Amino acid sequence: MRKKGVAKLFLRSIKPFGFWIIFAVVLAIGSAVLGLFTPKILGEMTDIAKDSFATGLDWDALGMKITIVIILFTSSSILNYFQAYILGVVTAKYTKSLRKQILEKITRLPISYFDNHQFGDTLSCMTNDIDIIATSMSQEIADVSLSLTTLIGVMVIMLTISIPLSIVTFIVVPLSVFVVAKIAKFAQKYFKKQQATLAVLNSKIEESYSNQIIIKSNSYEKTALADFDKTNKELATTSRKAQFFASLAFPVTHIFTNLGYVAVCILGGYLVIERRISLGNLQAFIGYVSRFNRPITEVASTTSTIQSLLAASERIFNFLNADEEEPDPENNRMIEEVKGAVVFDHIKFSYDKKHTVIKDFSANILPGQKVAIVGPTGAGKTTIINLLMRFYEPDSGSITIDDVPINEMTRADVRTMFGMVLQDTWLFSGSIEDNLRYGNQQASLNEIEEAAKISNIHHTIKALPKGYESTISENSDNISAGEKQLLTIARAIVANPSMIILDEATSNVDTRTEQLIQAAFDKITKGRTSFIIAHRLSTIRNADLILVMKDGDIVEQGTHDALLKKNGFYAELYNSQFTEE
Amino acid sequence: MFKLLIKYIKPYWWQAILLVVAVTAQVYCTLSLPAFMASIINEGIVAGNHDAIWRSGIFMLLLAAASAVGALVSSYLATYIGANFSKDLRRDIFTKVLNFNLSDSDKFSVASLITRTTNDVNQVQQTAIMILNMMLRAPLFCIISLIRAFQTAPEMSWIIAVAVAGTLGSIILIMSLVIPKFKIFQKLLDKITLITRENLTGLRVIRAFNNEKIEKEKFEKTNQELTKTIIFVDRIIELQNPLINIIFNGTALLCIAVGTSLLTKDVAFLGNMTAFSEYVTQFMISILMLSILFIMLPRASVSAHRINDVLKNPNHFNWKKSTVGVPSIVPSVEFKDVIFSYNGASDAVLSNISFKAEAGKTTAFIGSTGSGKSTLINLIPRFYEASSGEILVNGINVKDFEKDDLMKRIGFVPQRGALFSGTIKSNISFGAPNATMKEIEKAAEISESAEFIKKLADGYNHHIAEGGTNVSGGQKQRLSIARAICKNPEIYIFDDSFSALDMKTDKKLRAGLKPITKNSVVLIVAQRINTIKDADQIVVLDQGKVVDTGTHLELLKNCKVYNEIVKSQYSDAEYAAELKEANA
Repeated sequence: MRKKGVAKLFLRSIKPFGFWIIFAVVLAIGSAVLGLFTPKILGEMTDIAKDSFATGLDWDALGMKITIVIILFTSSSILNYFQAYILGVVTAKYTKSLRKQILEKITRLPISYFDNHQFGDTLSCMTNDIDIIATSMSQEIADVSLSLTTLIGVMVIMLTISIPLSIVTFIVVPLSVFVVAKIAKFAQKYFKKQQATLAVLNSKIEESYSNQIIIKSNSYEKTALADFDKTNKELATTSRKAQFFASLAFPVTHIFTNLGYVAVCILGGYLVIERRISLGNLQAFIGYVSRFNRPITEVASTTSTIQSLLAASERIFNFLNADEEEPDPENNRMIEEVKGAVVFDHIKFSYDKKHTVIKDFSANILPGQKVAIVGPTGAGKTTIINLLMRFYEPDSGSITIDDVPINEMTRADVRTMFGMVLQDTWLFSGSIEDNLRYGNQQASLNEIEEAAKISNIHHTIKALPKGYESTISENSDNISAGEKQLLTIARAIVANPSMIILDEATSNVDTRTEQLIQAAFDKITKGRTSFIIAHRLSTIRNADLILVMKDGDIVEQGTHDALLKKNGFYAELYNSQFTEE
Repeated sequence: MFKLLIKYIKPYWWQAILLVVAVTAQVYCTLSLPAFMASIINEGIVAGNHDAIWRSGIFMLLLAAASAVGALVSSYLATYIGANFSKDLRRDIFTKVLNFNLSDSDKFSVASLITRTTNDVNQVQQTAIMILNMMLRAPLFCIISLIRAFQTAPEMSWIIAVAVAGTLGSIILIMSLVIPKFKIFQKLLDKITLITRENLTGLRVIRAFNNEKIEKEKFEKTNQELTKTIIFVDRIIELQNPLINIIFNGTALLCIAVGTSLLTKDVAFLGNMTAFSEYVTQFMISILMLSILFIMLPRASVSAHRINDVLKNPNHFNWKKSTVGVPSIVPSVEFKDVIFSYNGASDAVLSNISFKAEAGKTTAFIGSTGSGKSTLINLIPRFYEASSGEILVNGINVKDFEKDDLMKRIGFVPQRGALFSGTIKSNISFGAPNATMKEIEKAAEISESAEFIKKLADGYNHHIAEGGTNVSGGQKQRLSIARAICKNPEIYIFDDSFSALDMKTDKKLRAGLKPITKNSVVLIVAQRINTIKDADQIVVLDQGKVVDTGTHLELLKNCKVYNEIVKSQYSDAEYAAELKEANA
């Protein structure tokens, strides 16, 4: 996406707030204009004071000025407040709608999108990028209009006070901005180098920390430390340079400000003595010099802020514009009563349209059959499940359930037929009860407890201090991995699906829990067509049909005994892979 | 936070002192400017004296130059100290972690240790530089401008009190309203992240249950709450700028009004009045800076805490400076009544473990997950420290060894084959930096890796990426084994190292090891019965206890647990055959 395109998209997306943004800009300009005159009037007050030696203090004139100044800066501050408040609300509402769009997009993207994009990137859109937009948007709109108004206003007032003084200021102050920008460019070079060195050091740290056993047992500590030291020293040097040049901005502006100040004092002194300007005007002018400084630096820094705003917007828009799943067919078909006959007919599939993962797969599964899918790791056993659940669509061939092709049904209808228990025991943070109800919001507590009993987890839940009300959090250690799997089984039971998909756990589960899981699996698959990614011998032996996968294709299928007799790949696999505990 | 700062800034004490001097000079010079400005007005303008303007003007230029030099020097010193500060700190953490034993690493988790060494140090460094820059400058500005203000116009000093009270009062008021809301804000933001992450990790489950709508509603509820909180906070926090603006302008106005009423008594007061107003402004800016600093400090102090946790973690044990006693020339490993439990846990992971492994023989350990077999062998190189009992290597207690003296005797192959960035050659000779090319090739040969290395274009100089991501799992495992062989150790420890290999390679590799381990102790932890069937001695573990010890056939005859394991891995016919052989 080109920068211009992003800017256009961004502007279009904030269009609904257009009125309020313009209103806020008007308020900002008003506030800046009202604030402009304070130094000038304060200077006039000084003149009144100075003249008081000759004519006596004119309290009426002074009182008048005081009132005007108070009215000016108070009203300027009030306008400023409303401007900031309006922009704050606009930003909050805008980011809220962005967040909503991102989450909705997540639910609409095809699963394949996430094969090529890391979760971290999407998460970063939701958090970091929105944060960047929130901070830069409310700040920049106000700052730019405030700064520009102040800059122009101050210049005009300065010129009306004294042209020679203005010339001095117009030379010195922008010079400082120019020098600071040059230095910043220089510092950038070292910052890049620092970032690169830091990356090298981080990977060294990571390597050493994650391989402690090898380092220790090979007495490698000294070499590792020497290696670390070298990069660490290099980092200290580059970071010192980067930080130094970056920190120069402050003293340099300081020098120029002071120089400008001194020059204005000397030149101004002369002009006052020669009665070309009044003392009050000089004082006011000094006040304006300091006001002239800030907007210049601010406008200069705006470009980088806008760049990061656009970069963040680009990432978000790219995400929001990614291709979505094909919509469901309009005249979709439904199965009234699911029997569970599944037919795979000459399925061909690839994840990336280049490397064919499944070449030509056909299978005929009768209602109520127990199908075991076996094969070495990485053989693509889950691909079959992905196609069956319509997480992916086959390149050619068809899958039918009870003679209805699944792509003629809605995705939701297909998925409702299946209950899924995956190895990755995903539970959301919330109460156990809510988690179990996830597949069937109408389920009563009774039904939930019944399901928990079937999946042998009821007693464990009851033993928790809060029972079914206990909350599960991301890193909850009150529940073991095995127990989590039992919960996902119970969740599937509550949904009461027509067919079951199971992914047996290979993770570390203690023997007792493993037996419980096994028993629950047996109960839930009874009488239902079920697909099992199998790791256990007992499951495989009891299967009605075994699909043997190798290199992403089904090389053999049949029952355990038939396949062993065939003495092919399955027999080989069985004799090596499955002789583990 | 401050303790950590002081400790690590100490080595650079003279730079620090110089920094204080430079900053003081800079602040002093900057704050002297308004005084000369006053004398330009009083002696020059009001008196109509050109020379007085020049004199004061030149002094001002000199002061401005001096202040510039001070600012440059202090910037340089602050960054110098800051960079070295983090360098030293990072090195200390790294050294500390290198010497951790595994129970310490487990306690913190490797991921957290990495963050502490990288992100947290950066965070503290940023704050350190800021403190060096501002912490010194802001209070100095405060104090000196306050003194100067008093000196120029003591009659007006009450204005300062009013201005400070106004500034601090409004900051405190706003913060006390907003800070409690900030906590809620943070919680809601965390919840947004949580729900988003759940939607990503639960992609399939959510779709399988058709619960996209429920997730959207859940998210929208939090999103709504978050927005409400943001708007509330915004309404208050945006008050800050206008309020400060009013206070600053009000103060300036007050200075002139009060000054003017005093002016009638003394005409020379005109310059002082202007200078005073400058000082008050400077003073208030410094107060603002300080208040920002105090808001930022807590963030860095969280990082400082996390770093301190690592640095202050007690050393659980120390190595001897040199080995006490003379280890036997004949290698052996012996456990005598060893008990082990993790940090402070009451349940022992291993209890009363006793066995002896002799040179030229293979001792294998088998048992279900959680039986403690991996933990057991981790005790030999003191990765973990036995809670009680003795572990003898070559007849000497491991606690009496000097570290490198013990490690050079051990070739340890971990469960997960891990490689370092470098070349294949540097990885194989990792534990034996002086190994010749011939020795490296031999190690590759025995570990069954020579074949795939030869197929690579660069052969032994083939580049290995960080974490060994550019070779397959099986190749990684074989190179890990080569690394141990190349060391030519007295004791080989294989921690379930063969499971990533297929049966054929496993068998060939073990056959190749036979001749070179003739005089060594070989310890193997395994899952597969086939891997350990030929071992001279098999130790069967169950729930941290030795159930039985013997050969494959002996155990088949006597040991119930062993029989269960065999039964689960063999078909009924095979099991029956094995049993028949055992009983023959």
